[in-house]
Amino acid sequence: MDTTANTRQGLKELINRAGIGLALLGLVVFFSVFTEHFLTANNITNILTQITINLILAVGMTFVILIGGIDLSVGSIMAFAAVIAGKAMTMPGLGPTEAILLAVMAGLLAGMLCGLLNGFLSAYWSIPSFIITLGMLNIARGAALQVTDAQTVYAFPKEFSEFGSSLIFGVPVVFILALLLVAVAWFILNHTILGRMIYGIGNNEEAVRLAGHSVFRYKMIAFTICGLTAGIAAIVYMARLNIASPIAGIGFELNAIAAVIIGGTSLNGGRGSVIGTLMGALIIGVLANGLILLGLSDFMRQMITGVVLIAAVLLDQYRARYGRST
Amino acid sequence: MSILKSLAAATLSGLLLTTAAFAEDKPVVGLVMKSLANEFFQNMMVGAEAHAARRGDYELRAVGMQNETDFESQINAVENFITEGVDVIVIAPADSRAMVGPIKKAIEAGITVVNFDVALDAAAKTEAGLELAFVGPDNRGGAKLAGDALGKALGQGGKVVIIEGNPSADNANERRLGFEDSIAEYGLELVDSRTAHWETEEANSVFSTMLTANPDIQGVMAANDSMAIGVVRALEAAGRTDILVVGFDNVPAVGPMIEDGRLLATVDQFGTDMAANAIDLGLGVVAGGPPLEGWVKTPVSLVTK
Repeated sequence: MDTTANTRQGLKELINRAGIGLALLGLVVFFSVFTEHFLTANNITNILTQITINLILAVGMTFVILIGGIDLSVGSIMAFAAVIAGKAMTMPGLGPTEAILLAVMAGLLAGMLCGLLNGFLSAYWSIPSFIITLGMLNIARGAALQVTDAQTVYAFPKEFSEFGSSLIFGVPVVFILALLLVAVAWFILNHTILGRMIYGIGNNEEAVRLAGHSVFRYKMIAFTICGLTAGIAAIVYMARLNIASPIAGIGFELNAIAAVIIGGTSLNGGRGSVIGTLMGALIIGVLANGLILLGLSDFMRQMITGVVLIAAVLLDQYRARYGRST
Repeated sequence: MSILKSLAAATLSGLLLTTAAFAEDKPVVGLVMKSLANEFFQNMMVGAEAHAARRGDYELRAVGMQNETDFESQINAVENFITEGVDVIVIAPADSRAMVGPIKKAIEAGITVVNFDVALDAAAKTEAGLELAFVGPDNRGGAKLAGDALGKALGQGGKVVIIEGNPSADNANERRLGFEDSIAEYGLELVDSRTAHWETEEANSVFSTMLTANPDIQGVMAANDSMAIGVVRALEAAGRTDILVVGFDNVPAVGPMIEDGRLLATVDQFGTDMAANAIDLGLGVVAGGPPLEGWVKTPVSLVTK
């Protein structure tokens, strides 16, 4: 009796924790059965390529949402970082290796600076990050357009675009890069003081402050990480498309937020995980891909994506309550 | 605080004075553009400014918007131009219905209005009792040029897909219709047609999925070059060199792709000159020329290697 109860408890716990994974599995099974091409090596490669940018942005977003913030500017920061990197890469008189190195550094730095500014402004004056990053959404977009005169930057070294489409055993290199980021983020969040502080701030900022830690500093770090991932996403964007457009990434922030929330991270902060974010990004990617393979119209596709987002959040609410009562 | 206020007042009166200074001899042209974040309109604006400097016999006041759907700031711009009493308004409407009202008001105020780039909706014009010529390219005809190039290359029964622009945009619809005209004429088979909202990354994702679903695709018709670039990159990533792509707009970034054959063709609608030409037409009317009528077609031409 005792053992069955335990097993049942364990099963509940498992479903609880794996809920999002089960949802993903359900989608995969559904599309595998109902479409001809879903479960083919090529298509899996496609999906992984397609979710990479969103996943990278969502990893950074996870940090910000965990501290109870939000970052609406990542799409614009990505465009800004991309055009800065693009300008660096197309500077005359550079060899391909120098050009790529310089561009990557410039892009990452541009992203980090924007993130740092987001963090500083919202943490120093305790202004909701919603409004600061809304400002940054416009600043970074405007800056991207200003720098380029609204012209697309192109003509990158061949080596760079080859990196964007290269595969290792059918897995896109850019996706492996994103997975590495997930691993690093997981390690930071679960095994470092920084991670503990980030969860702590999301749960009870005052307690962290009273314990003598600098909430300001950790908030800045969270936003800077988010800016950095936007910079990394910019490099991946460029490598994949071989251009840097100042109007890239419009609305990407919302997809990144969706991935984080579908992945079970609470919008109130303090609860969630980057593994969930990976699952969330996969769900969004699988859905976008599978619904096209299913032959659904663009408008239906948009509606269903919205329904899934709401369903995921409802499920999470339910899970949170259920978790409390046991 | 009061210093700030008086400073603001001084600046404001300064602005009013400069506005009043327009009312001299040179005619004033108010140019209302679409999103200047769009490279196409940015280039058009630069073209118009160069034109104003070259002609030197009119005053150019140009206004752009933040994004493609921000037609409220277009309405504001038109109303401001009416207040300022400009002689000509040259406008690329962001919305073919929403802009009918403000434009009618401008005409009633005695301003010569030239509608370019996107035509106002015919039904909405009739309803408002507005008669206005349209100066602009034939998007449908242009798209058909590109579609025909693809049709000739593929021959009867070639399997093609269309990557559409924003579903609510008139030029997106016109271009899709043009592609469909080619499909009918050359007996092509349309396998799928989807929007990628004019956007490179989305076109890249959407097209690679379409290719998975239909590996036997032979040709792609993209409603603009930004999306064509995304398609070309998807083909490179998939290692497919057997699929032909056509685009629209002839942006600089596709130059190398036309050169090495990754893009079969694109269409140039001479965007840089478009606003300038419309301004010429408007000034012609102000100078006592006959009013514009019907559809003044601006050139489109096919660009291939």
